[in-house]
Amino acid sequence: MKKTSYVVVTLLACLVLLITGCGNSGSKSADKATQNGKEKQVLNLFSWADNFSPEVLAAFEKKYNCKINYDVFANNEELLAKIQAGGAQYDVIQPSDYMISTMTKLNLLEKLDKSKLPNTANIVKSLQTPAFDPKGEYSVVYTWGMTGIVYNTKYVKQAPTSWQDLWNSDYKGRVILLNDSREVFGMGLKKHGYSNNSTNKAELDEAYADLKALAPSVLAYDTDTIKQKFIAEEAWIGMMWSGDAYFTQKDNPNIAFVIPKEGTVIWADTFAIPKGAKHKELAEKFINFMYDPKISAQNYEYIGYNDPNEKAREFHAKEFLDNKILKLAVDKVAQGEWLKDIGEAITQYDKYWTELKTIK
Amino acid sequence: MRNGKLLVAPAMLWLSLFFAVPLLIVVLVSFATRTPYGQVIFKFTLANYQRFLEPLYIKIFISTLFTALVTTVITFAMGYPLAYTIAKLPVKWQQPGLILVMVPFWINFLIRSYAWVIILRSQGVVNTLLLNLGLIKQPLALLYNDYAVMLGMIYALLPFMVLPIYVSIEQMDKRLLEAASDLGAPPWTAFRRITLPLTMPGVAAGSILVFISSLGMFVVPDVMGGAKSALIGNLIQNQFLSARDWPFGSALSIVLAVLALLLIMLYYKALQSQEGGASDAKELA
Amino acid sequence: MQKSWRDSALLAYALAILAFLYLPLLILALYSFNDSRINAVWSGFTFRWYASLLNNQRVIEALTNSLIIATISTLVTTTLGTMAALALNRYKYKFKGVINGLLYLPILIPEIVMGLSLLVLFSQTGIALGKGTLVVAHITFCISFVIITVGARLEGMRKDLEQAASDLYATPWQTFRYITFPLALPGIIAGALMSFTLSIDDFIISFFVAGPNSTTLPLYIYAMVKRGISPEINALSTCMMCATISLIVISQLLQPQHKSAKK
Repeated sequence: MKKTSYVVVTLLACLVLLITGCGNSGSKSADKATQNGKEKQVLNLFSWADNFSPEVLAAFEKKYNCKINYDVFANNEELLAKIQAGGAQYDVIQPSDYMISTMTKLNLLEKLDKSKLPNTANIVKSLQTPAFDPKGEYSVVYTWGMTGIVYNTKYVKQAPTSWQDLWNSDYKGRVILLNDSREVFGMGLKKHGYSNNSTNKAELDEAYADLKALAPSVLAYDTDTIKQKFIAEEAWIGMMWSGDAYFTQKDNPNIAFVIPKEGTVIWADTFAIPKGAKHKELAEKFINFMYDPKISAQNYEYIGYNDPNEKAREFHAKEFLDNKILKLAVDKVAQGEWLKDIGEAITQYDKYWTELKTIK
Repeated sequence: MRNGKLLVAPAMLWLSLFFAVPLLIVVLVSFATRTPYGQVIFKFTLANYQRFLEPLYIKIFISTLFTALVTTVITFAMGYPLAYTIAKLPVKWQQPGLILVMVPFWINFLIRSYAWVIILRSQGVVNTLLLNLGLIKQPLALLYNDYAVMLGMIYALLPFMVLPIYVSIEQMDKRLLEAASDLGAPPWTAFRRITLPLTMPGVAAGSILVFISSLGMFVVPDVMGGAKSALIGNLIQNQFLSARDWPFGSALSIVLAVLALLLIMLYYKALQSQEGGASDAKELA
Repeated sequence: MQKSWRDSALLAYALAILAFLYLPLLILALYSFNDSRINAVWSGFTFRWYASLLNNQRVIEALTNSLIIATISTLVTTTLGTMAALALNRYKYKFKGVINGLLYLPILIPEIVMGLSLLVLFSQTGIALGKGTLVVAHITFCISFVIITVGARLEGMRKDLEQAASDLYATPWQTFRYITFPLALPGIIAGALMSFTLSIDDFIISFFVAGPNSTTLPLYIYAMVKRGISPEINALSTCMMCATISLIVISQLLQPQHKSAKK
């Protein structure tokens, strides 16, 4: 009968799956893995995808005889929503800068015991006590960068120097803005010389008026596939993070990156430990491990972002240290302003952002 | 069978446990207040619903409903012939045919959308082809506009139209069509007065599934539309993420649900008034 | 049967739509051989992604999780949904209109709202997140699809066959097993196909209710977006496509040649 052959085939397929599944997956339990009767600790890591060198992770697992469960999220707000709604069981999380200030206000983070994290003293001084965590109590900077203007030298003949250059009518329909209301409005505010954390309605109105004028020229608002748009040369000019610009340039040598004179957003991804983490000690060991100079060098060359670890410089390859884009961020770090949680004003930002999106 | 009524119980029990309770939470939150830092405190307020009445949000609702409607109509125009063709295949090819239609939808939607970007972008497959053939001088802007969004939605929702319609066509008694042609009815009339009314349950089910699903879509406007359109799905998404205004997001969701339910009820009323044709056809059997 | 131009036109139209459905898949398959990690433009031909795919334990684990969760939730959803559709179709309930309307709600409520509210429910009641909560969530949002699809099939069904069966002294179970069930089967299979499809590609609801170490394929892919989706995923998708189509072809070939009696 027709049905029998379907059943047979499906069962065969299931069998194959079960075999590969059992063969491949390590431990099924999220808490403890046993090996030869000895309990193996587990570290639940919740971070961006591909944010660590696999070799570095393996080295940690070997050194401390544990297993790292590396779960991933795609943006900060999802991380917050998940931790806020409760029930998340992670030991180490990686919120970005502004998210740290929000999470501390919402009391979602454990205070870090710096005595357990001696290697973090290796971090560049200015990044040890950033504006979003003035006493460095809740977070440690992992990767950092700045937002700037990325452009394709084939189509953009004059190197941009100011955010105003995005409004140049030559680039109509080829402009990309980040799909992030704080970044875009921050840029609009900075262009007028205001703080990108401004809650002053008059200042916001000015920024909004400018952005409204730019909206018809925008090809797309994109944070996720912006690299691809520039590599494929769909876009000619736009806002981009320095780390992304480094990768884009590798695939398309026509790409260049500048930090506009008005200043910009400086951002960082950090390590933090959520309140109630089950494996706090192991989490602290992990964070400390990441800032060992040799480990840092290996890690950051894999992920391609700026290394905040001063002591790691001697272990880095020369071409990594000399890369123009990464170096640019280091040189211009004084022009960056951290994004802070703006409390109630976020509602006004969101309203303007929604209106901006409805403009054809 | 007296106990037959209980058959509905397991599903209802499941839904009341895992859906009604969460839904209740959503309703409660929609009347709650947001603290400056995005927490929810249970201080009763109608402000969230009042905010929905602002012109900006009404505009977004209307444009979303309109987009969903157009998507449903086009998906119907594409889905019905496809379902019909599969139902006309020899019996042993019908199920493979259906699965063949479903296979693309088991591949991750995000990467399929990215494949569309590769096809439609300014240096993509279509433009390169047209430019090389000399048919156009400048690349066409096929992406990051409302048409691309509609394309994406249709692409995502086609199976939900095809499957229910196929199910209805397949069960239709073919002898009715034979009888009609014996009585001299031209094919189009037979379709209009026999096939279509008899397959209405499938069409209704498919249309509603597609319409409802397109209301909440947010991936398509972001990837294919360049995040330039504000549809209700994106708006609600924003409230739970970057705007951190769960109460407003919850209120919007409830309003969306209520509006859509009203529209569906209107649709059913309209169908029932057309029932005359369907019951005639049924009585012929 | 004479093939009129209408039949050919219909066939051509259907094939065109099928081509529309498969075109992106062809591009996907092509780009699985692209020698570029970011996979934005074509940079050269390579097999290395297929090789690295075999070594990528995490993605295979994610795929396995997705398949297991989809299978279990489809089985449960189809069973619960079919029972409910039968009952709703056969019997008069007091608040039938209300129940019908309520059925649409799980689909109407945006996924992020559903995911978050389920997460709140689980965390407040102390249910640990993991594969179990994923299955529960998937069943919840798939049930309506099955009930609606099977319902459509039942609505168009001729009642006289069942009538005849009971006139001939068949018990309700026999009527169900030999008449109703086979007649409704295409509807049930359609519902199951829909449920499987929905489950295997869900990411927003899954994101919120997944626990540590229970990543599904869509979650894995979605999170990869920030660094660019590597061609490994294209390779995986191409393998999945080929495997499924091969299964279909094989099952067709395994069929006996005689035709089963049509109703």
